[in-house]
Amino acid sequence: MKFATTALAIGLAGFIGAAQAQQITGAGATFPAPVYAKWGEAAKAASGMELNYQAIGSGGGQNQITNRTVDFGASDAPMDPAKLESAKLLQFPSVMGAVVIIVNLPGVASNQLKIDGPMLAEIYQGKITKWNDPKIVEMNRGVTLPNRAIAPVYRADGSGTTFVYASYLAAVDETWKTKVGVATSVKWPTGAGAKGNDGVAATVQNTQGAIGYVEYAYAKLNKLPTVQLRNKAGQFVSPSAESFSAAASQGDWAGAKNYAVNLIDLAGEKSWPIVSATFILVPRDPKEPQRVANVLKFFDWVYQNGDPIAVNMEYTPLPAGVKAAVRSTWRNELKGPDGKPLS
Amino acid sequence: MSATTMGSGAIPGPAKDEKTSLALGRSRHRANVIVKTLCVAATLIGLVFLASILFTLLWRGIGGLSLAVFTTSTLPPGSNGGLLNAIVGSLIQTVLGAAIGTPIGLMVGTYLAEYAQNSTLGNAVRFVSDVLLSAPSILIGLFVYTLLVEPFDGFSGIAGCLALAVIVIPIVVRTTEDMLRLIPNTLREAVIGLGAPKWKMITLVCYRAAREGIATGVLLAIARVAGETAPLLFTSLGNLNWSVDLTKPMASLPVTIYQYAGSAFEDWVQLAWAGALLITFGVLAINIIARVVLRGGK
Repeated sequence: MKFATTALAIGLAGFIGAAQAQQITGAGATFPAPVYAKWGEAAKAASGMELNYQAIGSGGGQNQITNRTVDFGASDAPMDPAKLESAKLLQFPSVMGAVVIIVNLPGVASNQLKIDGPMLAEIYQGKITKWNDPKIVEMNRGVTLPNRAIAPVYRADGSGTTFVYASYLAAVDETWKTKVGVATSVKWPTGAGAKGNDGVAATVQNTQGAIGYVEYAYAKLNKLPTVQLRNKAGQFVSPSAESFSAAASQGDWAGAKNYAVNLIDLAGEKSWPIVSATFILVPRDPKEPQRVANVLKFFDWVYQNGDPIAVNMEYTPLPAGVKAAVRSTWRNELKGPDGKPLS
Repeated sequence: MSATTMGSGAIPGPAKDEKTSLALGRSRHRANVIVKTLCVAATLIGLVFLASILFTLLWRGIGGLSLAVFTTSTLPPGSNGGLLNAIVGSLIQTVLGAAIGTPIGLMVGTYLAEYAQNSTLGNAVRFVSDVLLSAPSILIGLFVYTLLVEPFDGFSGIAGCLALAVIVIPIVVRTTEDMLRLIPNTLREAVIGLGAPKWKMITLVCYRAAREGIATGVLLAIARVAGETAPLLFTSLGNLNWSVDLTKPMASLPVTIYQYAGSAFEDWVQLAWAGALLITFGVLAINIIARVVLRGGK
C-alpha cells in the first residue's frame, strides 16, 4: 500500500512537471523535419519552449491542422487558397530548400554531367531512354557516356518533393504540364517508384544507369552524385547554398498571395532552378489563442536566431524582407478574443 | 489413393493379399516421405528468415546500443540523442493498454465460455470479437482518432493506450474462452454439487485451473501491441521531448523507428536499428516467458 502511494505520488509529480513546460505540437512535411527538430532543441535551451514536430507528410499536416488536432501544420506544397479560406488557416513560410537530381553512372563524377529541364521531362516521359542519346552527348562533350538504359526513379508516396519536382518539369515542358500535371503524387509515364527520399536514393544507388530526385540535404549528407542543371538564363549551375539563395532572391515574394511564392525556374545567372519554400499553417480562429501565440513566439525566435542552424543543415534561410512581412501579417491578422495581436 | 491399387470397382479397405499390401505400404511410405520433406523444407525456410532477421538486427543494432540510448531522449541529428522518451512512452502505453484491455477481454471471454456457450448473443459476440482480432491495426488507430483525437483537439498518450487496448481485447477474449473450455465439466459439476454459487465456481475454480493459459494469452497480447506502429501514428502521434503527460502526444519506439529508419542522418538510422533490436528482444523475452509459464502449468 505504501509502495502504491509513493508510486502514485511520483507519477503525479512527473505529470505536473511535464504539464508545466510550454509544449508546441506540430505535424506535417518530412523535408523540414530535421531543421525543425534542431531549432526546437536550440529554442528550448534559449527560451524554455518545447517543440514536438512529427513528420507525417505534407498532406497529413494540412489535414491535421484542418481538424485542429495539432498547434500548427506544415506543408511543402502551399495549400490551395480556397481550402485555406474554408479551413480558416494562415499560411507563412519557414525556410527554403532545393530538389536535386542524382544519378548512378560509374565513371561520371558528381556535378560532371550537365542536363536541362526539357531533357529531364523527356527522360521521365520515356522519350529519352539511353544515356548515350545524342541530346545528352551533345550537352556533355568530353564525358564518356555508356550505351545503357536510363532508369528513372520517382517517389511512390505522396510527397512535397514530388510536387516541387513536377512543378519544375511542368514549367519547362508543355507536354508535361498538360499530360502529367503537378501534384504531390502524379501518374508517372515511366520509371520505378520508391518510398521516401531514402527509398529513391537507395534505388538509384543500387541501379546502374538510374536517375532520381531528392532533397539537397539528402544528396549532400549521403554523398550521392548530383548533376548540373541549365537554368533559365542558360547557365549550368551546380546545386549549392549560393545557387539556392540566388534563386530565392529572384522570387516575387511581395506579389505572392498567402506567401505561396514561385521559386521554380527563375531568372538570374546563378539561380538553381528547383527551389521551394516550405510552409507553416496556423488557425485564424483558435479555441485556445495561447497555443497559436506559442507557435508564433517559436517562429519569431526562429526568424531571429535560426538562420545559422538552417545553413549548417543545408537549408536556405528566408530573405530578411520576407521575415518582416510575415511578422506584420501575424500582427495584423492573428488576434486574440480581446482584439490584441497574438504576437 | 488406395482404391487404385485394389482394382476397379472395389471399395477401399484392408489389402487382400501380400502383394497389394506391400504396394500399399510402399505408396504410403512414399507419401509420408514427400510430406515430411515438404514440412522440413518449410520449417527450414521459416527458420532461415527468422535467423537472418535476428542476425541483421544484432549486426546493425548492437553498434548503436550505448548507455546514452537509455539515458537521453530523442534529439535532432548530430546531437547524440537517445531513445529514453520512446522507451518509456512505449512501456507506459503498452502496460496501460494491456491494463485497460485485459479485464474487459477476460470478462467477455468468461461470458462466452461460462454463460453463453451456444446462445445467439454469445455466437454474435464471438464472431465480432474474431473479426476484431483480424482487423488491420491501422483501422483501430483511425477509430480511436475519430473517437478521441478529433473531438478533443489533439493527439494524446491516453488515445494511444486505448487504441492498443482495443487490440488487446479480442486476443484475451479468444485465449480466455479457449482455456476455460478446456476445463472438464465434471469439475464444474463437483463445485456446484458442493453448493457453491456459479460466480464462486468461476472465480475460485475455473480461473485457478486455467490460470497459466490465460496469463499466456495476456503476455502474447502484450507482445503483439508492443510492436504496433500503425494505431499509434493516429493516436499518440509521437513526441520529440521527454513527456509522460497522458494528455499530450507521447513518444513510442515503433513510431520513432518508423521515422528514423528512413532519415538522411547516420546517427538517426543507427538509433532506429538499436530501437528495433530492443523491441525485438523485448517481444522475444515476453514470448519466452509466456512459454515458460505455459510449461510450468502442465
